[in-house]
Amino acid sequence: MRILLIDDDEDLRNLLSRYIRGQWPDAEIEAYDPLERDVPGATFPIGSYDVVVLDYMLGRGDGLEWLKILKQRQDCPKILFLTGAGNEIIAVRAMKAGADDYQRKQELTREKLLTSIRDLTASTVERTVSPELAARMEGHSLGAKLRIPGIKVLHLIGEGGTARVYLASREDDDEPLVVKILRHEIVMNKKALERFMEEYAMVERIQSRHVARIVSHGNYQNNVYLVMEFFEGGDLSKRLGGKPVPPPEAVKFFRELMFALGDIHEKGILHRDLKPQNLMFRRDGSLAIVDFGIAKNIAAADRTGAGEVLGTPRYMSPEQVQGRALDLRTDIYSAGVLLYQMLTGKHLFDGETAMEVAMHHLNTEPPLLPEHLEQYQRLMEKLVEKDREARFRNADEVIGFLSRKFEAVAPALVDKTQNLREASPR
Amino acid sequence: MSADDYKVTVAKDLADLIPVFMKNRHKELDALRVALAAADFEQLRQLGHRMKGVGNSYGFAHVSTIGKYVEDGARSGDRTALQASINDYQDYLSKVQITYE
Repeated sequence: MRILLIDDDEDLRNLLSRYIRGQWPDAEIEAYDPLERDVPGATFPIGSYDVVVLDYMLGRGDGLEWLKILKQRQDCPKILFLTGAGNEIIAVRAMKAGADDYQRKQELTREKLLTSIRDLTASTVERTVSPELAARMEGHSLGAKLRIPGIKVLHLIGEGGTARVYLASREDDDEPLVVKILRHEIVMNKKALERFMEEYAMVERIQSRHVARIVSHGNYQNNVYLVMEFFEGGDLSKRLGGKPVPPPEAVKFFRELMFALGDIHEKGILHRDLKPQNLMFRRDGSLAIVDFGIAKNIAAADRTGAGEVLGTPRYMSPEQVQGRALDLRTDIYSAGVLLYQMLTGKHLFDGETAMEVAMHHLNTEPPLLPEHLEQYQRLMEKLVEKDREARFRNADEVIGFLSRKFEAVAPALVDKTQNLREASPR
Repeated sequence: MSADDYKVTVAKDLADLIPVFMKNRHKELDALRVALAAADFEQLRQLGHRMKGVGNSYGFAHVSTIGKYVEDGARSGDRTALQASINDYQDYLSKVQITYE
């Protein structure tokens, strides 16, 4: 395998070379320093490489321009484009200019780099592909075929149990978007399909800045899709990275989550599956809830929810574990579990199996917060009370508690009040 | 900063890259000082941007954090903030403790 690394940073070139050689010791790697050399010209043997890794800021050149020039050549190999984190518009432009994959440079790990290169060189390097790679290749190919009016589907960025997720852009202005395409096995499952369509209908109804904005939805040649806003700040899981968040920041995120819950509960909707992967951050730091796949109308949950156990065991309320009828206090409990994780960097309950974790929610007293977090203990207790009658009744109660107990949240509350005042007719 | 903030863990197979990495960080610190003295905000922005990109990749998250502050400070032309970030960088580079595993 031959790889051309174009990056103006010597340390990055060294690091990426090391990662690649660790996996493919025979790989031939040429480190190309754009501070020393111009864009590879017509005589440069670009076709002799299997992959080009190209940075978007080249010191004295623009990576996007280099990409366009290289892609004009018939013999141009696959290009992995490195973009800045939190600036997805660069990724959109790179993919539109012909990049075959992209990675956010700041978040580029050994695993991500190798996965990208493995995907890009699958036909030349590996005779048989792993099931995971085959699934990703199928996903890439599906995305390339999908046609949505006004939207360009660019690149597979994630795969979940129910849907594949693609980076896309609005054709008019390159605004980054996300397209979720439901898996065929889900489309064939009437109940699961109904859930997906319900998700769209519910999220559209909410219209809150704390909930992901839906752009469109539809069905193209039996591919059911949903187009929504792209979150450049990633999800809470990424922010946590297995570590605690500084307490003021944790309380800030938690407060945002309470505003979000307030908004969705007001519309009569329970989320029922709060977890770090479902809390997304915009570039401005604001938080929004996504994935209403198992959310329910509160009235419907009261009527039909009993006996049905859905959700992620780590964040389930005791009543959810029991399959009892749910009300909005189930989301309050799950939010409490999230706050514990943000403050401590640990899960409220651990276990060998999902069932074991779920049973802890039912039977085990939550651990006390460490001493340095003592000021949050009462809040935590009121959030993760096993008896929902003793829990906070709704998000407003929690917000009130936060504003009374923690000075730091007061300005945000004032801001919100001020926004409401400014929005009201005088 | 707490003592833990100065501790960095790096993969063993990258150990031989670290001396060059650290040497480049010290050169970067000098370049930041020169750029600030010359009020060359474009150079500061580029240096901050590079720090942001390279720090996390090697496991030096604080280098990326300072890089972001430098980039932001350069964009807004805030000399005081830039000076504070450079001081912070100097302090960090003088105290950072690297463990290989």
